[in-house]
Amino acid sequence: MNNVIKFAQSAIILPQWSPIFASQFHTSSALCRVVSGKYRITKKRDKPLTYEMANPPHYIAHRKTWNSWNTCKIFTIFSMSLELLFAIPIIKTYSQLKKHVRFVTVIIKRQFNHIRVAVIIRRAVSPTKMYFLLGYSEEMLSNWIQCPVTLELQTVDSYQDVVFKYI
Amino acid sequence: MYTNLAIPRQWSRLACLCRSLTSVEGQKLPQVGKSSDGISPPPRIPRGPTDILQALAATVGTDPTAAHYKYHDDPYLIPLSNFRKRSYALSAEAGKKAAAWVRDQHPELFTTREWDPPMKMKTPYFNADPHIEAFAPKPIYNDESKVTEEDLVYTIKNALLEDAVKVFELLGGVDNVNEELKLYLLQLICFYNEKEPISNEWIEERWFSTAVKERQSTTWKLGGLADKIFTSMDPKTPEAYCSLIQGMAKYYQAERAYALSREALENNIPLSTDVYNSLLVCIGFLKEGVTLRVEALLELLNEMNQQGITPNTGTLTACLRSLSAWGGGKTLQNMALQIIAEFKNIGIEPNLSAYYYLLCLFCKERGPRIDILSGILTELEKKESLDPEDIVDTSFFITAMSVCSEHLQDMNLAERVHELLMKGDNYKLVGDAYKESIYYRHLVTVACRYAPFEKTMGLLDTLIPNIYVPEPTVMEEIIKVLELGGAGERLSESWSQLVVFGHARRLRLVERLLEAMCACISYQDEEVKAKIRKSAADMLKFYQMAEERNENVSTRTPVQKLSAAALSNIIDLCSTGEEPESWEAIQLAVNELGSASGAGRADVISAVATTAAKKGQHALAASALTYLAECGFPEAMSASVDTLSVMLNRSTEEVETILQGTDLEGKLQESAMAVVQAYRMSKAGEPLRERDSSASSSDSESSSDEE
Repeated sequence: MNNVIKFAQSAIILPQWSPIFASQFHTSSALCRVVSGKYRITKKRDKPLTYEMANPPHYIAHRKTWNSWNTCKIFTIFSMSLELLFAIPIIKTYSQLKKHVRFVTVIIKRQFNHIRVAVIIRRAVSPTKMYFLLGYSEEMLSNWIQCPVTLELQTVDSYQDVVFKYI
Repeated sequence: MYTNLAIPRQWSRLACLCRSLTSVEGQKLPQVGKSSDGISPPPRIPRGPTDILQALAATVGTDPTAAHYKYHDDPYLIPLSNFRKRSYALSAEAGKKAAAWVRDQHPELFTTREWDPPMKMKTPYFNADPHIEAFAPKPIYNDESKVTEEDLVYTIKNALLEDAVKVFELLGGVDNVNEELKLYLLQLICFYNEKEPISNEWIEERWFSTAVKERQSTTWKLGGLADKIFTSMDPKTPEAYCSLIQGMAKYYQAERAYALSREALENNIPLSTDVYNSLLVCIGFLKEGVTLRVEALLELLNEMNQQGITPNTGTLTACLRSLSAWGGGKTLQNMALQIIAEFKNIGIEPNLSAYYYLLCLFCKERGPRIDILSGILTELEKKESLDPEDIVDTSFFITAMSVCSEHLQDMNLAERVHELLMKGDNYKLVGDAYKESIYYRHLVTVACRYAPFEKTMGLLDTLIPNIYVPEPTVMEEIIKVLELGGAGERLSESWSQLVVFGHARRLRLVERLLEAMCACISYQDEEVKAKIRKSAADMLKFYQMAEERNENVSTRTPVQKLSAAALSNIIDLCSTGEEPESWEAIQLAVNELGSASGAGRADVISAVATTAAKKGQHALAASALTYLAECGFPEAMSASVDTLSVMLNRSTEEVETILQGTDLEGKLQESAMAVVQAYRMSKAGEPLRERDSSASSSDSESSSDEE
């Protein structure tokens, strides 16, 4: 009976990975220190964190549900990493070009072949310019990675508004 | 148990296999008819790839209070005025265009997808899965490009007119291209008259492109490429004739089109129904006078009959278009009805554009009222959905609404039209941004004038500001309704609406709003009164700031100053309250009065002088009275007496005796003295400039501001 349940569970996950490449067991030693997506506490405890940053990755789907909303599976967020690597430099270049458009955190999620990039941005640019940049980056990214890309901006008056806590 | 262990490995393959076996595509169609056990499954309905999405979308209505989905859902980025709506949407599209330009200029950078799964073969070009045509770079054609006939087919298929012509020339022009391709190019050129259309990709540009009313003048390019291709074609096929005639007729080269159709008939070349339709439209350019034109129309229809060509909906539309273009009058109207009846006999129902022309024909601006619209609506309401067939179809709803508001002045009909537009998928027939705003302008106007107050307010709440932002004329209409309905709260909100919609600098509207507020403030609740006072004070502040900006920056259209009447309205509104803010506003307004144009309301100003004196603001009372006296209002005398009696705490008789006496200087305080001056000024009947200036120089600063 147990086996049957396990099979059912694996059936949900496995189609993600091709059967040939799915390895059956690991031979490397376990690396228990999980540090990705967590922030180091500073000496003076003055590093600002947003609510999103304050919750480490294992809270996805618990405390920070929005990361898993509108995504086909949580798995895809991680398998997105290559795309992420590709898209972030572009966004970074923008932020360098436009110093006043600084990004706090970029959340990238995928819904089938549709990629959404959620960003908090300061209201430093006029809305008209913002719309131009929006249209430009959406089209550019979608041309580049050949699938529809949507930017979901949220504007704040100052970055202080999104600080959740200092560590 | 243990044998099962191998399955997880193969599970996905197995699942895949099972899926392919049981997938809908692999299924056998169930037989229609009764099976042995009495259960008869319904026959399978073939579905398109987006049918489920559409069914899901149909369960969610549109939210009229949310901004259109093309705008970003963020308070900072949601536009609230017409100007902003336009500029935001167009700037987003400009950004898209810029990106598309970069892509087309550097196609080598947009070739691969780095993250294709390793087992997938990497091809150097566009291996996106699924491949999306729109994201692929478009080819650029210039004099050096090496082109083949495939390029020509590609450009023609995608309606890239300039590129198609370029490729055509590169291929060697009329002599070196085969007949079939020449025909396709001819059709493309005839359709667009050698003018590059706005690409379908740029939705916003098409939506906001100002609807220039199509001028009915000959724009066909004579001796252009179309003519050249046509002469080079041998043999000239019926298709070539048809497309050239239709192109000429579409761009009003009526005589040549007609001559060409005669030529075709002589050569026994069959013409299509569409050609006859386009010729029917051209009759007005060939013949003068209604009787001749009608004769020609009937003649052409008879000719169609002789040729054995069956008319279609387009024929009916073309006939009505011609009739409506020839003016009004009983004969043409009867003729139109007759034609419609005859077409109905052969089973052809008029479409939206036919109804549009019918409305144009019957509902003239200064003609008699003819209610043809209700009949049309009854017909249209019977239909399941309205499908666009002609580009003119988009003019139907705007015309129907304007008929409701200007010709018939009937709210019930307007509601029916609006309901029809909102039914199902019909909103696509609204046209473009320009047509949409005119449609709503008519709807709101008719609602303001003829609908009950509650209903109008409901309509305004749903439409404004996300679907429609009222223009100044409509705003005035709305303010009028609010005044009549006595809706003080909404009036006080109107000011912030004016600011948001970008109408705050329109002086006429603001003054109208102030009048409306004055008219209905007396019977409002205290809370609402406070709100009205606040917005009145805000108006004053807005105009002062605008004036300061005028001084600093020279703009092309400087903001006008509030007139004295508007200022006294503000004084009137603010004097109903006790808060220090409103009295500060009154102080400001009184100071402004001297330099404002027009005359203020004397009754308001004298009343405020007395109240100010009662509140102990003597300087304010004095400057108000000085203004009254300077303007020469007869009320100034009695008002000064009243104010002085309050200031000195004596009865009016006593004050009058005091005023009779001379040598008052030194005995009274400065502001009381200023009141005495005002009294004397108005008694003398003309401004006593000398004394006034000497008095005011020693007086409070408020009155010296007025100089």
